[in-house]
Amino acid sequence: MTPDQILKLPSMPAASPSYPMGPYRFINREFMIVTYETDPELLRMAVPEPLVPNADSHVLYEWIRMPDSSGFGDYTESGIVIPCTYNGEPVNYTAQMYLDDEPPISGGREIWGFPKKYAFPKLETCSDTLTGTLHYAGQMVAMGTMGYKHQVAPGGVEAQAKGMTRTSVNLKIIPDVDGSQKICQLVAYNLTDITVKGVWISPARLHLVPHVNAPVADLPVKKIIGGKHFISDLTLPHGRVLFDYLKEA
Amino acid sequence: MQKSDVKALPSMPLQSPTYPRGPYRFSQRQYMIIHYKTDPAAIREALPEPLVPDGDTVAVQWLDLPDGEGFGAYSAAAQVIPCTFNGEKCNFISQMYVDNSPPLAGGREIWGYPMKYGQAKLGVNGDTLTGTLHYATQSVANGTMVYKHDAFRKDHSAEIESLARTQVTLKMIPDIDGTPAIAQLVAINFTDVVIHGAWTGRARLELIPSVNCPLADLPVHHVVGGNHMVTDMTLPYGRVIHDYLAK
Repeated sequence: MTPDQILKLPSMPAASPSYPMGPYRFINREFMIVTYETDPELLRMAVPEPLVPNADSHVLYEWIRMPDSSGFGDYTESGIVIPCTYNGEPVNYTAQMYLDDEPPISGGREIWGFPKKYAFPKLETCSDTLTGTLHYAGQMVAMGTMGYKHQVAPGGVEAQAKGMTRTSVNLKIIPDVDGSQKICQLVAYNLTDITVKGVWISPARLHLVPHVNAPVADLPVKKIIGGKHFISDLTLPHGRVLFDYLKEA
Repeated sequence: MQKSDVKALPSMPLQSPTYPRGPYRFSQRQYMIIHYKTDPAAIREALPEPLVPDGDTVAVQWLDLPDGEGFGAYSAAAQVIPCTFNGEKCNFISQMYVDNSPPLAGGREIWGYPMKYGQAKLGVNGDTLTGTLHYATQSVANGTMVYKHDAFRKDHSAEIESLARTQVTLKMIPDIDGTPAIAQLVAINFTDVVIHGAWTGRARLELIPSVNCPLADLPVHHVVGGNHMVTDMTLPYGRVIHDYLAK
């Protein structure tokens, strides 16, 4: 294998790269998002400066079913997103993510700095209940439930598609071979080519179990705001560096 | 979290770093290594330049890691290609499969170990030391070896030498725009190696073609033999021996 071939590799291993070059297209991506209010002080600790957490102390707990993802396959994801601002611009900061498929874990971490770990999330319709669960290292750490298609969300699919163009932000950390930080950045990306096929709201409940390596319960549920369920097609493109800790901090 | 605390994090995520700082000590690390002859042209294709093939014998190994500091308990399988770098003998790790997040993410991100998620298993079934590997639900490798046939051999110098040999990985990490941010050959040497037991013996190996777990791309022409070892060792940080992005 020549240096030219090596520099064209999208990822490791050279023998069969974990993920191909992006962008990545997702078809029929199904979301359940339970919005809740948490403790403002704990929220501040979970958000890296210079991001500022939202004034309402809202947290989004998500399950995402991805049956058809180019380059990645068929998998499910669960995690925590915190609405924040960066220089006054509203952004969504992804704090924790758990999924059951290696290429999107490796690619997610290595390209965009998604804070992903391997675990077993599930999103399914169980009789009358849209149900999300998350198991980490053999233990259940999260369960969310909402009513099934009770009410179309205000604004419908157009408003939902517009909301999904909001900038998302991750904290990307990649060590050097000596363990020091090689990359430490806030990175941003925006989903493109979004089609929403349906969006519903309903009451919801969320149960988070304390676990040291999947600490979803570190942002405790003080009050449930509500649940949202939607299905969409979308494209995940490459991103941009917002803030470089090794140069600016 | 303050910026200075962000800069002190060993890994993502901020709220529960996937792996702590190294080095990493392994206790009772058990190996089954099956050496086999394969196609020299396939070796040449799998080896990144400037590494040079060292013979036509490669290995598939299974590892049982019941006690890995910072990582926990897990299993792994790997393909290893003997080679030389500037004349020094080393082992290029071309593929590796593990069933645990911290070594998977840390292995890729620190050293560039070419790890994917696969379910390897190493155990004793009746009279047979047995390694299996499943990837995406399918069986992709089966290795078997006789169990401790040379139990009274005292000289472990060959095993000590093989564990001292420099490991080399190709570390590739993209930038946020998809272009390579890191493209390096990384060298790693275990330290503080203890051999609790080491055995050799007859072995067989079956590799099944699978696109995302292509061990069989280095086909088995002839099995040379097996090594079985129980060891303790420390995995330290590595060093960059070649940078493909350096001008």
